[in-house]
Amino acid sequence: MKQIFVIAEIFANQIRPVTWELVAAARVIEKNLPSQQSSPAIHVIVPADHPLPLAETIAQRTGMDVIGLQIPELKTEPFAKTIEEPQKGTKKHKEKGRKARWDCMWERGAPAPHGDSGSLARGSAYSGEIYISCIEQLAEELNPSHILIAHTPQGQDFAPGLAVGINAASVPAVNGIRTDEEGLIYSRPVFDNSRNLLVRPTQHRPVVLTVMPGIFKAAVGEEQKSGRVEIRDIPNQSAAYGDQRIRHRRTLKRSCENQALKEAKVIVAAGRGIKEKENLKEIFEFAQSFSSAAVGASRPLIDMKWIEYQHQVGITGATVSPRLYIACGISGSSQHLAGMKKAEFVVAINKNPEAPIFLHADLCIIEDVFEFIDVFLTKRGESNGFCDFK
Amino acid sequence: MKILVCIKQVGDDGETNRFDVHALEEALDLKDQLQTQLSKSVVLDVVTVGPPGACKIIRRAFGMGADRGFHCVTEKPDFVSSFVTATRLAAVAQKEPYDLILTGIMSADMMAGQTGPMLAKILGLPCATSVIKTSAPSSDMTIEVERELDNGLRDCLTITMPAVLTIQAGINTPRYPKLSSMLAAGQKKIETFKELDLFPEPIQAREISIGTEYPKKTRSGRVLEGSLSDKAAEFLAFLKEKDLL
Repeated sequence: MKQIFVIAEIFANQIRPVTWELVAAARVIEKNLPSQQSSPAIHVIVPADHPLPLAETIAQRTGMDVIGLQIPELKTEPFAKTIEEPQKGTKKHKEKGRKARWDCMWERGAPAPHGDSGSLARGSAYSGEIYISCIEQLAEELNPSHILIAHTPQGQDFAPGLAVGINAASVPAVNGIRTDEEGLIYSRPVFDNSRNLLVRPTQHRPVVLTVMPGIFKAAVGEEQKSGRVEIRDIPNQSAAYGDQRIRHRRTLKRSCENQALKEAKVIVAAGRGIKEKENLKEIFEFAQSFSSAAVGASRPLIDMKWIEYQHQVGITGATVSPRLYIACGISGSSQHLAGMKKAEFVVAINKNPEAPIFLHADLCIIEDVFEFIDVFLTKRGESNGFCDFK
Repeated sequence: MKILVCIKQVGDDGETNRFDVHALEEALDLKDQLQTQLSKSVVLDVVTVGPPGACKIIRRAFGMGADRGFHCVTEKPDFVSSFVTATRLAAVAQKEPYDLILTGIMSADMMAGQTGPMLAKILGLPCATSVIKTSAPSSDMTIEVERELDNGLRDCLTITMPAVLTIQAGINTPRYPKLSSMLAAGQKKIETFKELDLFPEPIQAREISIGTEYPKKTRSGRVLEGSLSDKAAEFLAFLKEKDLL
């Protein structure tokens, strides 16, 4: 019988919610496989230093069979320490002495932290090398037709190597699954999210898929019948570890969070389309015309060091849910969309009518950002009864 | 010590993929550190797989400071599977013993992010993706890197070289090519490989593209019409109606 593998995403001994979405995607594949094939069995794979409780939770909530890979090497200890580092970059930054603050959350073999840390669980680290070699071995034994992995920094790290290792086809960033007379077709974003590419794996090999978070609806509850749980012990130093050329040392978390972004009723956000750093002034002015607004930015602006990290909205920045999100000169990468899709209203201002942000906006304003802001601010002044005597 | 940077030509203007520019800058920075602080000699090569016109991005890499350039010349097909590209790159990378291979986290056009980790697996090397910080390799041939996760998290890793790193944007501010280096680059020879010489048997693609489509809308997407002034007025009315001012 053919198997479908779902690789659970585990971070710090927690099941990440994207795991439930992977199970949903696996069910879509199962339903769409040609009927002459015998129905496949979905197996959820849980790599962790102590997988039993995680595996039991997954088996109960999904009704699927779960294989826990018990890998002691993935263990790290909680560790509370703050590291400050001066930010690399412009001279101006250095003069101001601005420092990035990092909290060390997990460290390999760390001494127990002092003080009240009872709530911190021991963490399961991630190692691409170990994941790849353990899953390769399991795939060789059970011969799955599909392996589903989350399209997250963790999944993207090991999925391509796994695909090469088991001679599989590989489709990254899957945002749609459908079927035609020849079989399953996957769609995935290309060209800055402005198009979806339709991909068909060639026949007779397994397929490794990384599935975009937030696409497949996680349909899990307490299932009537729990799946079976099997724990496989993979002792330290076993061959299944691979060569151990990558050693996880510690995990850091950026300590600064932008409370203003989280609390603002309106977020005015700028993207690469604003063209020059100096133009940010106008974005701030635009924001000030609202009673409660904060300024956000898409990642490239932070990468170019035009604005501080605290303003970043997206997967690697803040996830926000204001009443109104105004995207100014933002193209609409999936990295950014993931951070702002919970806004009640989205207004996009962009000169390029092809910008994918318009597919994810309530109001589309196809104009030059700054020409539009100028006219808007004048109109707003008039409507407030103010006269501009300039 | 030898460093290889894999670069790709993208877009209508035929520029270097911006993530690969960050990878090249990081390699140049590592080379500077190794040479000035540790007095090690470093050779920095670049390689690209692409149509004949892709030699342009190698010249630009020379302008930034790359020592040698390799070009695996291919036809320009609509869709290239990452595995095929990684296999071609591996053929070139295997010609010399590289200690570090760097490339961008993904290409801006195909956005797959697979070429680096696939290349690593084909070569049998360890790989860290989404690298946002590196330190100069130490004398025991290990390198410390930080890779970016989501939610503001980073993993700190120690990797035994030779290794492959895929570089995330924001790790550095790439230098502009020097005019003098660009002029000198015109004289430099790019070593080209014909696909058929590297692969007498064509590489079997494991996926095929059957077309593209527009992504689905997730919101109503009402387009404001009329003059600039009309649009501003309508936007203002919308803000008032929803009590957003």
